[in-house]
Amino acid sequence: MPDNWGFVLAAYGLAAVVLVAYWRFLSRREKELEDATAIRHDLRQPSPKPASERPSP
Amino acid sequence: MRRLLGGVTLVGLLTGLVMGFGIAPRETTQGNVQRIMYLHVPSVWVAYLAFGVVLVASIAYLVRRAESADRLAHASAEVGVLFTGLTIATGSIWGKPTWGTWWTWDARLTSVSILFVMYLGYLLLRGMIDDRERGARFAAVLGIVAAFNIPLVHFSVYWWRTLHQPPSLMKPGPGTMPGIIVAALLVNFAAFTLLYVYFVTRRARLLRLEAEAEG
Repeated sequence: MPDNWGFVLAAYGLAAVVLVAYWRFLSRREKELEDATAIRHDLRQPSPKPASERPSP
Repeated sequence: MRRLLGGVTLVGLLTGLVMGFGIAPRETTQGNVQRIMYLHVPSVWVAYLAFGVVLVASIAYLVRRAESADRLAHASAEVGVLFTGLTIATGSIWGKPTWGTWWTWDARLTSVSILFVMYLGYLLLRGMIDDRERGARFAAVLGIVAAFNIPLVHFSVYWWRTLHQPPSLMKPGPGTMPGIIVAALLVNFAAFTLLYVYFVTRRARLLRLEAEAEG
Protein backbone atom coordinates (compact mmCIF):
# COMPACT_ATOMS: atom_id res chain seq x y z
CA MET A 1 0.00 0.00 0.00
CA PRO A 2 1.34 3.49 -0.80
CA ASP A 3 2.42 5.57 2.16
CA ASN A 4 0.01 8.48 1.62
CA TRP A 5 2.22 10.99 3.41
CA GLY A 6 -0.12 13.77 2.27
CA PHE A 7 -2.90 12.36 4.48
CA VAL A 8 -0.52 12.06 7.44
CA LEU A 9 0.61 15.67 7.01
CA ALA A 10 -3.00 16.84 6.62
CA ALA A 11 -4.05 15.13 9.87
CA TYR A 12 -1.11 16.40 11.94
CA GLY A 13 -1.25 19.86 10.33
CA LEU A 14 -4.94 20.22 11.06
CA ALA A 15 -4.45 19.12 14.68
CA ALA A 16 -1.56 21.59 15.12
CA VAL A 17 -3.62 24.48 13.72
CA VAL A 18 -6.66 23.67 15.90
CA LEU A 19 -4.68 23.18 19.13
CA VAL A 20 -2.53 26.30 18.64
CA ALA A 21 -5.65 28.34 17.80
CA TYR A 22 -7.34 27.18 21.03
CA TRP A 23 -4.19 27.91 23.06
CA ARG A 24 -4.03 31.43 21.54
CA PHE A 25 -7.72 31.99 22.30
CA LEU A 26 -7.11 31.08 25.96
CA SER A 27 -4.03 33.35 26.20
CA ARG A 28 -5.72 36.33 24.54
CA ARG A 29 -8.91 36.07 26.62
CA GLU A 30 -6.87 35.65 29.80
CA LYS A 31 -4.90 38.81 29.07
CA GLU A 32 -8.11 40.76 28.35
CA LEU A 33 -9.67 39.67 31.63
CA GLU A 34 -6.52 40.32 33.67
CA ASP A 35 -6.24 43.83 32.17
CA ALA A 36 -9.91 44.51 32.94
CA THR A 37 -9.42 43.26 36.52
CA ALA A 38 -6.39 45.54 36.97
CA ILE A 39 -8.34 48.58 35.70
CA ARG A 40 -11.26 47.80 38.04
CA HIS A 41 -8.82 47.45 40.91
CA ASP A 42 -7.23 50.83 40.09
CA LEU A 43 -10.64 52.53 39.93
CA ARG A 44 -11.52 51.25 43.40
CA GLN A 45 -8.39 52.81 44.94
CA PRO A 46 -9.10 56.29 46.49
CA SER A 47 -7.39 59.01 44.44
CA PRO A 48 -4.61 60.92 46.31
CA LYS A 49 -5.62 64.38 47.64
CA PRO A 50 -4.18 67.46 45.88
CA ALA A 51 -1.14 69.06 47.60
CA SER A 52 -3.15 72.12 48.72
CA GLU A 53 -5.54 69.92 50.75
CA ARG A 54 -2.78 67.99 52.50
CA PRO A 55 -1.98 69.15 56.07
CA SER A 56 1.30 71.08 56.22
CA PRO A 57 3.98 69.74 58.61
CA MET B 1 2.85 26.05 38.11
CA ARG B 2 0.85 26.64 34.94
CA ARG B 3 4.01 27.40 32.96
CA LEU B 4 5.61 24.22 34.31
CA LEU B 5 2.59 22.16 33.26
CA GLY B 6 2.67 23.83 29.84
CA GLY B 7 6.38 23.05 29.47
CA VAL B 8 5.98 19.42 30.52
CA THR B 9 3.03 19.06 28.11
CA LEU B 10 5.06 20.48 25.23
CA VAL B 11 7.94 18.10 25.98
CA GLY B 12 5.42 15.23 26.15
CA LEU B 13 3.89 16.13 22.78
CA LEU B 14 7.32 16.42 21.13
CA THR B 15 8.34 13.07 22.63
CA GLY B 16 5.10 11.61 21.27
CA LEU B 17 5.96 12.89 17.79
CA VAL B 18 9.46 11.41 17.99
CA MET B 19 8.00 8.07 19.15
CA GLY B 20 5.31 8.08 16.45
CA PHE B 21 7.51 9.12 13.54
CA GLY B 22 11.04 8.15 14.56
CA ILE B 23 10.86 5.09 16.80
CA ALA B 24 7.67 3.22 15.86
CA PRO B 25 8.12 1.17 12.68
CA ARG B 26 6.20 1.52 9.42
CA GLU B 27 3.10 -0.65 9.61
CA THR B 28 3.23 -3.45 7.01
CA THR B 29 -0.41 -3.41 5.83
CA GLN B 30 -1.31 0.27 5.83
CA GLY B 31 2.13 1.84 5.41
CA ASN B 32 2.99 5.16 6.99
CA VAL B 33 -0.59 6.43 6.94
CA GLN B 34 -1.12 4.27 10.05
CA ARG B 35 0.90 6.91 11.96
CA ILE B 36 -2.33 8.95 12.12
CA MET B 37 -3.26 6.47 14.87
CA TYR B 38 -0.85 8.24 17.30
CA LEU B 39 -3.03 11.33 16.95
CA HIS B 40 -6.49 9.85 16.39
CA VAL B 41 -6.60 7.34 19.27
CA PRO B 42 -5.24 9.69 22.01
CA SER B 43 -7.75 12.31 20.80
CA VAL B 44 -10.69 10.00 21.38
CA TRP B 45 -9.21 8.98 24.76
CA VAL B 46 -9.16 12.66 25.79
CA ALA B 47 -12.75 13.04 24.57
CA TYR B 48 -13.86 10.09 26.75
CA LEU B 49 -11.89 11.47 29.71
CA ALA B 50 -13.31 14.97 29.26
CA PHE B 51 -16.91 13.80 29.10
CA GLY B 52 -16.33 11.49 32.06
CA VAL B 53 -15.13 14.50 34.04
CA VAL B 54 -18.24 16.42 32.89
CA LEU B 55 -20.37 13.58 34.31
CA VAL B 56 -18.60 13.57 37.70
CA ALA B 57 -18.48 17.38 37.98
CA SER B 58 -22.15 17.67 36.99
CA ILE B 59 -23.18 15.22 39.72
CA ALA B 60 -20.98 17.13 42.19
CA TYR B 61 -22.61 20.41 41.18
CA LEU B 62 -26.15 19.07 41.61
CA VAL B 63 -25.26 17.64 45.04
CA ARG B 64 -23.15 20.48 46.47
CA ARG B 65 -24.00 23.48 44.22
CA ALA B 66 -20.31 24.37 44.13
CA GLU B 67 -19.54 26.83 41.33
CA SER B 68 -16.06 25.32 40.94
CA ALA B 69 -17.66 22.00 39.93
CA ASP B 70 -19.82 23.80 37.37
CA ARG B 71 -16.78 25.60 35.95
CA LEU B 72 -14.88 22.30 35.73
CA ALA B 73 -17.79 20.68 33.86
CA HIS B 74 -18.04 23.64 31.47
CA ALA B 75 -14.28 23.74 30.77
CA SER B 76 -14.06 19.97 30.36
CA ALA B 77 -17.02 19.88 27.95
CA GLU B 78 -15.44 22.56 25.78
CA VAL B 79 -12.10 20.72 25.61
CA GLY B 80 -13.98 17.44 25.00
CA VAL B 81 -15.81 18.95 22.03
CA LEU B 82 -12.49 20.19 20.65
CA PHE B 83 -10.93 16.72 20.84
CA THR B 84 -14.06 14.94 19.55
CA GLY B 85 -13.94 17.24 16.52
CA LEU B 86 -10.27 16.35 16.05
CA THR B 87 -11.10 12.65 16.38
CA ILE B 88 -13.76 12.87 13.66
CA ALA B 89 -11.55 14.96 11.34
CA THR B 90 -8.42 12.82 11.71
CA GLY B 91 -10.50 9.62 11.41
CA SER B 92 -11.97 10.92 8.18
CA ILE B 93 -8.50 11.76 6.82
CA TRP B 94 -7.31 8.28 7.81
CA GLY B 95 -10.44 6.66 6.34
CA LYS B 96 -9.96 7.96 2.81
CA PRO B 97 -6.75 6.05 1.95
CA THR B 98 -7.63 2.94 3.99
CA TRP B 99 -11.41 2.52 3.42
CA GLY B 100 -11.64 4.51 0.19
CA THR B 101 -14.13 7.00 1.61
CA TRP B 102 -14.04 10.13 3.77
CA TRP B 103 -17.22 9.20 5.57
CA THR B 104 -19.67 6.34 6.03
CA TRP B 105 -22.69 6.09 8.33
CA ASP B 106 -21.44 3.08 10.26
CA ALA B 107 -22.16 2.61 13.97
CA ARG B 108 -18.88 4.02 15.36
CA LEU B 109 -18.81 7.11 13.15
CA THR B 110 -22.50 7.82 13.68
CA SER B 111 -22.37 7.36 17.47
CA VAL B 112 -19.29 9.57 17.84
CA SER B 113 -21.02 12.23 15.70
CA ILE B 114 -24.04 12.08 18.01
CA LEU B 115 -21.67 12.48 20.99
CA PHE B 116 -20.12 15.55 19.34
CA VAL B 117 -23.52 17.13 18.61
CA MET B 118 -24.81 16.43 22.14
CA TYR B 119 -21.90 18.21 23.82
CA LEU B 120 -22.05 21.01 21.27
CA GLY B 121 -25.69 21.34 22.37
CA TYR B 122 -24.50 21.34 25.99
CA LEU B 123 -22.27 24.35 25.28
CA LEU B 124 -25.01 26.13 23.32
CA LEU B 125 -27.48 25.53 26.18
CA ARG B 126 -25.07 27.18 28.61
CA GLY B 127 -24.78 30.19 26.34
CA MET B 128 -28.55 30.53 25.84
CA ILE B 129 -29.66 30.85 29.48
CA ASP B 130 -28.95 34.22 31.11
CA ASP B 131 -29.55 33.10 34.70
CA ARG B 132 -26.19 31.51 35.59
CA GLU B 133 -27.50 29.21 38.32
CA ARG B 134 -30.38 27.95 36.17
CA GLY B 135 -28.08 27.43 33.18
CA ALA B 136 -25.63 25.49 35.34
CA ARG B 137 -28.43 23.26 36.66
CA PHE B 138 -29.82 22.45 33.19
CA ALA B 139 -26.31 21.88 31.83
CA ALA B 140 -25.51 19.50 34.71
CA VAL B 141 -28.58 17.38 33.87
CA LEU B 142 -27.61 17.31 30.18
CA GLY B 143 -23.98 16.52 31.14
CA ILE B 144 -25.19 13.44 33.02
CA VAL B 145 -27.62 12.26 30.31
CA ALA B 146 -25.11 12.77 27.46
CA ALA B 147 -22.50 10.61 29.24
CA PHE B 148 -24.63 7.52 28.53
CA ASN B 149 -23.47 7.88 24.94
CA ILE B 150 -19.80 7.21 25.85
CA PRO B 151 -20.16 3.39 26.31
CA LEU B 152 -22.38 3.35 23.22
CA VAL B 153 -19.54 4.86 21.18
CA HIS B 154 -16.89 2.57 22.65
CA PHE B 155 -18.81 -0.70 22.33
CA SER B 156 -20.55 0.14 19.02
CA VAL B 157 -17.85 -1.83 17.15
CA TYR B 158 -18.85 -4.97 19.10
CA TRP B 159 -22.61 -4.46 19.12
CA TRP B 160 -23.01 -3.70 15.40
CA ARG B 161 -21.22 -4.75 12.23
CA THR B 162 -19.00 -1.80 11.36
CA LEU B 163 -16.27 -0.75 8.97
CA HIS B 164 -14.33 0.65 11.92
CA GLN B 165 -11.90 -1.78 13.52
CA PRO B 166 -12.40 -2.88 17.17
CA PRO B 167 -10.29 -1.18 19.87
CA SER B 168 -6.61 -2.19 19.87
CA LEU B 169 -5.76 -1.01 23.40
CA MET B 170 -8.82 -0.14 25.48
CA LYS B 171 -10.18 -3.71 25.52
CA PRO B 172 -9.99 -6.76 27.79
CA GLY B 173 -7.51 -9.54 27.03
CA PRO B 174 -3.99 -9.64 25.63
CA GLY B 175 -2.94 -7.02 23.08
CA THR B 176 -2.19 -7.86 19.46
CA MET B 177 0.07 -4.89 18.63
CA PRO B 178 3.89 -4.98 18.76
CA GLY B 179 5.36 -3.55 21.97
CA ILE B 180 7.06 -0.58 20.32
CA ILE B 181 3.79 0.59 18.73
CA VAL B 182 2.03 0.21 22.10
CA ALA B 183 4.84 2.23 23.76
CA ALA B 184 4.53 5.03 21.16
CA LEU B 185 0.77 5.06 21.65
CA LEU B 186 1.09 5.17 25.46
CA VAL B 187 3.51 8.13 25.31
CA ASN B 188 0.99 9.99 23.15
CA PHE B 189 -1.82 9.02 25.56
CA ALA B 190 0.18 10.57 28.42
CA ALA B 191 1.03 13.71 26.41
CA PHE B 192 -2.58 14.26 25.34
CA THR B 193 -3.78 13.72 28.92
CA LEU B 194 -1.35 16.43 30.07
CA LEU B 195 -2.63 18.69 27.28
CA TYR B 196 -6.19 18.06 28.50
CA VAL B 197 -5.26 18.98 32.09
CA TYR B 198 -3.43 22.11 30.86
CA PHE B 199 -6.35 23.30 28.71
CA VAL B 200 -8.99 22.55 31.35
CA THR B 201 -7.17 24.32 34.20
CA ARG B 202 -6.64 27.41 32.03
CA ARG B 203 -10.24 27.41 30.77
CA ALA B 204 -11.67 26.91 34.26
CA ARG B 205 -9.58 29.85 35.53
CA LEU B 206 -10.88 31.98 32.64
CA LEU B 207 -14.46 31.08 33.55
CA ARG B 208 -13.77 32.20 37.13
CA LEU B 209 -12.31 35.51 35.92
CA GLU B 210 -15.32 36.01 33.60
CA ALA B 211 -17.73 35.38 36.49
CA GLU B 212 -15.84 37.88 38.68
CA ALA B 213 -15.86 40.48 35.88
CA GLU B 214 -19.64 40.07 35.49
CA GLY B 215 -20.01 40.46 39.25
